[in-house]
Amino acid sequence: MIWVVFAVLTGLAAIGVLWPLSRARGAPLDGDTAFYRSELTGIDTDLQRGLVSESDAKAMRAEAARRLMRTEGAREESGATSGTTWRRRIAALASIVMIGGVSLGLYARIGNPDVPDLPLEARRQAPPETPDLMMAISRIEAHLAKNPDDGRGYEVIAPVYLRLGRYDDAAKAWANVVRLLGASPVRETSLGEALVFAANGHVTPEALAAFQRALALAPQFQQARFYIGLAAAQAGDKTRARDIWTKLVAEAPVDAEWAGVVRERIRELGLPEAEASTDARPSSEAGQAIAALPDADRDTAIRGMVANLAARLAQDGRDANGWAMLIRAYMVLKQPDDARAALAQARKALADDNEARARVEAMASELGLGG
Amino acid sequence: MIVETGHYALVLALALALVQATLPLWGSRKNDPALMAMAPSAAIIQFILVAIAFGALTWAYLTSDFSLANVVQNSHSQKPLIYKLSGVWGNHEGSMLLWVLILAFFGALVAVGGRRTPQNLLATTLAVQGWISGAFLLFILLTSNPFARMLPPPAEGNDLNPILQDPGLAIHPPLLYLGYVGFSITFSFAAAALINGRIDAQWARYVRPWTLIAWIFLTLGIAMGSYWAYYTLGWGGFWFWDPVENASLMPWLAGTALLHSATVMEKRDALKIWTIFLAILAFSLSLLGTFLVRSGVLTSVHAFATDPQRGVFILAILVFFIGGSLALFALRGPLLKAGGIFAPVSREGALVLNNLLLTTSCATVFVGTLYPLALEALTGDKISVGPPFFNYTFVPLFVPIFLAMPLGQVLAWKRGDLLGAAQRLVVALIVAICGGLILAAMQGEPVISAVFAGLSLFVIVGAFVEIWGRISGGGLSPSVMFARATGLPWSAWGTAIAHAGVGVSLLGLAATGWGVEKILAMRPGDHVAVGPYEVTLDKVEPRPGPNYDETVAHMTIRSGGNAISTIEPSRKFYRARQMTTTDAGLRTFSLGQIYAVVTEQNSNGEIDVRLYWKPYVALIWIGAIIMALGGAISLADRRLRVGVARRARQAAMQPAE
Amino acid sequence: MTRKQRRLILIGSALGVLFVAAGLTMFALRDNIVFFYSPAEIASKAPAPGTRMRLGGLIKQGSIVRGENRSVTFVVADAEREISVSYTGLLPDLFREGQGVVAEGVLVSPTSFRADSVLAKHDENYMPREVADALKKQGHWQPNEPKK
Repeated sequence: MIWVVFAVLTGLAAIGVLWPLSRARGAPLDGDTAFYRSELTGIDTDLQRGLVSESDAKAMRAEAARRLMRTEGAREESGATSGTTWRRRIAALASIVMIGGVSLGLYARIGNPDVPDLPLEARRQAPPETPDLMMAISRIEAHLAKNPDDGRGYEVIAPVYLRLGRYDDAAKAWANVVRLLGASPVRETSLGEALVFAANGHVTPEALAAFQRALALAPQFQQARFYIGLAAAQAGDKTRARDIWTKLVAEAPVDAEWAGVVRERIRELGLPEAEASTDARPSSEAGQAIAALPDADRDTAIRGMVANLAARLAQDGRDANGWAMLIRAYMVLKQPDDARAALAQARKALADDNEARARVEAMASELGLGG
Repeated sequence: MIVETGHYALVLALALALVQATLPLWGSRKNDPALMAMAPSAAIIQFILVAIAFGALTWAYLTSDFSLANVVQNSHSQKPLIYKLSGVWGNHEGSMLLWVLILAFFGALVAVGGRRTPQNLLATTLAVQGWISGAFLLFILLTSNPFARMLPPPAEGNDLNPILQDPGLAIHPPLLYLGYVGFSITFSFAAAALINGRIDAQWARYVRPWTLIAWIFLTLGIAMGSYWAYYTLGWGGFWFWDPVENASLMPWLAGTALLHSATVMEKRDALKIWTIFLAILAFSLSLLGTFLVRSGVLTSVHAFATDPQRGVFILAILVFFIGGSLALFALRGPLLKAGGIFAPVSREGALVLNNLLLTTSCATVFVGTLYPLALEALTGDKISVGPPFFNYTFVPLFVPIFLAMPLGQVLAWKRGDLLGAAQRLVVALIVAICGGLILAAMQGEPVISAVFAGLSLFVIVGAFVEIWGRISGGGLSPSVMFARATGLPWSAWGTAIAHAGVGVSLLGLAATGWGVEKILAMRPGDHVAVGPYEVTLDKVEPRPGPNYDETVAHMTIRSGGNAISTIEPSRKFYRARQMTTTDAGLRTFSLGQIYAVVTEQNSNGEIDVRLYWKPYVALIWIGAIIMALGGAISLADRRLRVGVARRARQAAMQPAE
Repeated sequence: MTRKQRRLILIGSALGVLFVAAGLTMFALRDNIVFFYSPAEIASKAPAPGTRMRLGGLIKQGSIVRGENRSVTFVVADAEREISVSYTGLLPDLFREGQGVVAEGVLVSPTSFRADSVLAKHDENYMPREVADALKKQGHWQPNEPKK
């Protein structure tokens, strides 16, 4: 079908261009004399307006007449118009070759004749052949654009945004959830968290306010307390951060994965550990298992996990969080060269995902790996 | 299918451009009318094809077809319709397509409207036009293809930058391009004249309407861009001597010079070499502007060096056309016969002076724009050449132009009488001095503003002295005067009006010196005097928007105690892009404007406010519109259209009324 | 007046105008241009205090301190150095922590700068061009999106 359209277009263009070749042409019009006459009228007008003096006008008329004679002479020299059939045949052939050759040749290289139009509305309505998360999001977004007061819709999509790295959208969605469905500790904290992510890990005043609202609703809500601690750490109040976090770790259930993260953060503060953290216990089962090993073995086990991660990322490198984890792990293991190599690999692997790359870059420069 | 049809049409247009660039040229060499007749057909078909391509791209934008990389990068399904539309040319690929569309449009116009042009000249001109559009079509298809597909298509596009979401920006680039690209026609005519070897007064008349059209659009485009900067950037300024602005000013200066020197060529068959040179220069500067804006060389010399594909391509186009035309020029120029002679003090002399000053001022802008780029490329030093540079170079060169403008209008052709001309301008001089004094008394300091205001009055009044002398005289009744006024050639009116427009703009510029600027912190209820008005801050409140949070300050403007208007300057915070934009509050009172900008509210309830009273500021843009209007009136002068002259001849043979 | 004389007058006036223009340009280029420095370049090239210049870099997180009467101090940093800047006046819309900025003013000492204007015009990526260049040279900044 599309080739029919192309053929029709090409044909029409060729016919349009070749049409004049088939017609005989009348003699070219005599513009020179007409122009000479208009020049004379022009000089008369100027004379009337006083823009030229009587004697100069006379001289100008003579000049114009001389020009007319000169051009007439030149035209006789250039000879009569000529048109031979063979030249027209060559021209016709050349234009057909150019039109056909250039357009088909170039289009064959750069065109996508088999790709149909894909307008968004049609794609949304098309039955999902493959479960496409992006199209699902797009459908929800279209729904929300029409029903901007559907709080449930925002609540569904907000965590998805966060996972996709669209932090600003996530924050906006959570803010709408709070506005439409009312505040809850989870919603406020999620809002704050999205804001923190959006600010590259910086707890902005708005985010802090959100966490404080969450704590006003549920004073023991751990996630919010973690961020309050983070805010304190970023504001330079390390002691307060340590106190908040230490208490948090102490309360953590045995299987809470996040406790390890928090403990890591406490260590990064570089303060002497407070008493409560003496019962430092690894949270996850794997963590417990590793902790139970002797020092040397533990080191080996950790290295093994890191190696696994590196191998996985070498296979499929489109996981920004994985790269970030790997680079951080190398730094913790005091292998900065490996970290740098991983960073280089990450850049390559994420070359066409600017956002993910930016996140890895941000983390790398935090670790002093910039460059 | 629509998308790929557009894509194919664009490729086909390239093929047509090649045909148009070669065969008619051959026909013109051999004087074969059939081959030459291919040029207009090819030009018209080429325009239709590019229009199909542009339409297809527009359709892709309107339906949010995210299988096109270009649509993904510059559109968003939730964007308002007008910004989906303006998004088509709000990016590199689309704007280049618009560029070529306008180029093809002008080609088709020449083909349709040029039936009275000698076939030789028409065919060669369109062939040159074919070279230009061929080069740019190739550039688009190989380096900036808007029809490049992205598979699988993403579900949503990146939003368009909020600053670019403005109605002013929707029409500014097309206007500017109409001007830029319009000079391609004069360029093609000049190249054709050099190729054919016939350059005379008649040529100047064929070119005249095209120069005027390009000049009118460029004038409007520049004015529009400046007004856009004025009200969106929230800085109260309207011209920043920014390289992008300079890139549009340079062709305007060269084009203005061309317009004037072509008049001399048309009337007197003189200044031929110079006119041809200006025609080449005007388009070369348009190309240079395209190169500066499109190659990324302005954003970063280094970015250009690391990703040079596009920049080098445009640079190659630039070198090919400028170098080629200059070579032709060097080859053919010496063959030109000198035309009509004139005395230094004459209308021709005045126009030569105007040309000299315009091109020199254009050269200073050129130096100021390119010197930093050259220095950075050579030494790595980064400098900025700001407004002071242009104030010291550009302004002194323009003052003599303003002084000479009315003088040139009253001087006679061939040989003028300077003293007599000066006497005729005495009225204008008196008005200028009195007006300047009155304004100085009314507005006070600075003196320079009054001087320039006087100068502008001199230009405005002087623009009409010649016409007045023609229609008045010795107690004529109004009806006779009216008959005489309508009997004057339209081009005379066009000249006078365009010159007056320059004066009007200058008056607006001069009056900026009398502007009042107040920066202060205000609480609701505070009031402050700004110029002749008093502004009260009533309240500051948040106002929710679809994708931004807005803080609006409600202000009342009072004059002599009576509330006469309100303004609502605001700040918008775009959540998605984490970006703040300022919406200035603007109100016009008798050509002056109150301009208010607010910043964020402080913790103690105060809000920082910047208030301006800008007397007569609207005249800057009104003047530009008047200039364009003058150009349009001049364009409408049927007497100066070749071919119509034949009818004029018939009329002339009838006894005079 | 002969043709030759006329031509002389024409050429003479053309040269005159060009001469004046060239003079004006030289004068303006000598006195009215300012160089651009990044904090690292100030450290390495050590321009004398009192030099007028443009300073560009990123506004350091948490460094903006607002004082009385619209005075403000902030720290401009690149990957290597920092310089504290003091300024009084209104700030442009895009003035935010972590964002690029160009300030024009006078270098007071190698580590402090007094700005009399903070520039508002940014390119499409909201990074002043000089800042982007300087940072890119240090391998610091990644553009959000490759420029087309």
